[in-house]
Amino acid sequence: MIHLFCALPCEAETLIQHFKLCEIKEFELFRLYQSQDKNISLAITGIGKLNAAAAVTYHHACLDTSSSDIWLNIGIAGHANISVGEACLVNKITDNQHKTSWYPQILFKTDCTSAALITHDTPSTEYQDALFDMEAAGFYQMALRLGTAELIHCLKIVSDNQEHPADKINADSVKKLIAKHMTTIEQVLDSLKPLSEELRSIKTQPEHYQTLIEQYHFTQSERLQLVRLLRQWPVRFPDDDIMKFVRDIKNGKALNKQVQGKLAESDFAIHD
Amino acid sequence: MINTIYIEKEIAEHPRTLEILKRFPDASKVACERYGEIFNRKSQNFRLQKKQPALILAKKHKGMVLATPKQYAIGADHNYYFSHMLNCLYDCRYCFLQGMFQSAHYVLFINYEDFIDDMQTSLAQHKDQAVHFFSGYDCDSLALDPVTNFTEEFLPFFEKNPQALLELRTKSTQIRNLLKRDPIQNCVIAFSFTPNKIASALEHKAPNVEKRLKAIIDLQRAGWLIGLRFDPLIYTKEYEKEYAELFTRVFSSINLDLIHSVSLGSFRLPKAYFRKVEKLYPDEKLFSSPMEEEDNNIGYPAEIRNGMLEFCKDIILEHIPSEKFFPCHDSI
Repeated sequence: MIHLFCALPCEAETLIQHFKLCEIKEFELFRLYQSQDKNISLAITGIGKLNAAAAVTYHHACLDTSSSDIWLNIGIAGHANISVGEACLVNKITDNQHKTSWYPQILFKTDCTSAALITHDTPSTEYQDALFDMEAAGFYQMALRLGTAELIHCLKIVSDNQEHPADKINADSVKKLIAKHMTTIEQVLDSLKPLSEELRSIKTQPEHYQTLIEQYHFTQSERLQLVRLLRQWPVRFPDDDIMKFVRDIKNGKALNKQVQGKLAESDFAIHD
Repeated sequence: MINTIYIEKEIAEHPRTLEILKRFPDASKVACERYGEIFNRKSQNFRLQKKQPALILAKKHKGMVLATPKQYAIGADHNYYFSHMLNCLYDCRYCFLQGMFQSAHYVLFINYEDFIDDMQTSLAQHKDQAVHFFSGYDCDSLALDPVTNFTEEFLPFFEKNPQALLELRTKSTQIRNLLKRDPIQNCVIAFSFTPNKIASALEHKAPNVEKRLKAIIDLQRAGWLIGLRFDPLIYTKEYEKEYAELFTRVFSSINLDLIHSVSLGSFRLPKAYFRKVEKLYPDEKLFSSPMEEEDNNIGYPAEIRNGMLEFCKDIILEHIPSEKFFPCHDSI
């Protein structure tokens, strides 16, 4: 699943239209949107890092996110000398108040400039050689508790710089800046999807796990052992159905023992 | 290729840092305070990062030279290891680094001078006694040598200190820096081997057996001493045939007089590392091998382990004298 976060409605509007997202009316604390297939969702966080962090938490609680999901903060930011309209993928986020930094892991090729970003608590017009915004640190810090650094990113479109200060920004110009980069946003998401899918595949419970724990009693350590055995079975016996093999078993402990015995007794080849 | 380089501010202007950065003009450079901010953070995934590791240039502040576990000695009473790098270019599925580190990025400690100072201190503690220093526990010693210039910078210290011996543990064929200079007799280039089919299944991105052998032959011709490391031994049902073929190939290809040492060890990992790697690669066949827990390690059951070790030891000792043989297990 993909979770998008924007501070302002004008940053979100183009994304909502592009991904055909509908507002989920039952959630009122933050405005949440979701695609019909539920694969893409969006939250409007409001301004500031506390709002951003709260929105991430709320989003997680409402939509039951997973640790293999993609989290993307999209919005506008200032920079001393990067041209207005340029899209930047953030490679370092610093909370200006606490001087703590985080490093989103960019593992894919991108046409975007990558740049450091500083999150301020109040609007700033002191341009530096870094992007600045008011949300990324809150977003990232909280999303990192729920996901992994390779799949949590901030994409910022430069809205103002020393030559073009922020006073000329309005809702309409923001919408246009975001709209101009829909392809870039799609490219970033397309690069992240295979990573997310790979992570999902290794984090998903093995096949038959749920059925077996509902059918038999397993202690906590027996459940961990069962997970390992259910992972090993298809690797060792890709053509054999484990459910047939354990059909007449009386309890969870005996099931683990029987599967373990079969794995131990069978020939093992590390390669084909 | 390196796309991102993190640079600790403290060593940003170090000549070695500047030299390395010149090699990667297109990489994104990101300043950081300490490498641990990136490398040690939770909520990152080793498996995903291994697809595109970044380079982290850092300074090592302490613990540069550490005592080696006793079973890894190759003939000296005083043994130390040091790691100028953390993590490896290769992606061997049995490697403990996947379980030990949160991150797959390469950390390069560029303050070589401080490592050498610590080695000098260690040497001074054992006056007139042989002291062995092992490189390649936490990285491959040679794989990034063209970038790090590691051998060029460290070998002069050993040249001046014949009391010390350096082991460079590797699977790499990056031997140009070694061939460029005169060999020294207190440096052992120690190559790890597993049989070809096992290597293909488990040693991703590493040079194959033939390429490693070619590197050995070239090094021996230039006068360098070679170590052979059959560690970890990997169990497979036809291990006898596969290891016998490997030994035949290796021992018939190289100059046995220029073998410094041969060591042997069976696959084992600390339990916590094993469980972590198993979760990273749940579909990996290696982790569905017959394994059991013993003394907080996970490895092959004693019957399999001892059978493999005995089998391999017998063949190895047909080729080299026992004083050059160093098993990493007490059981043989």
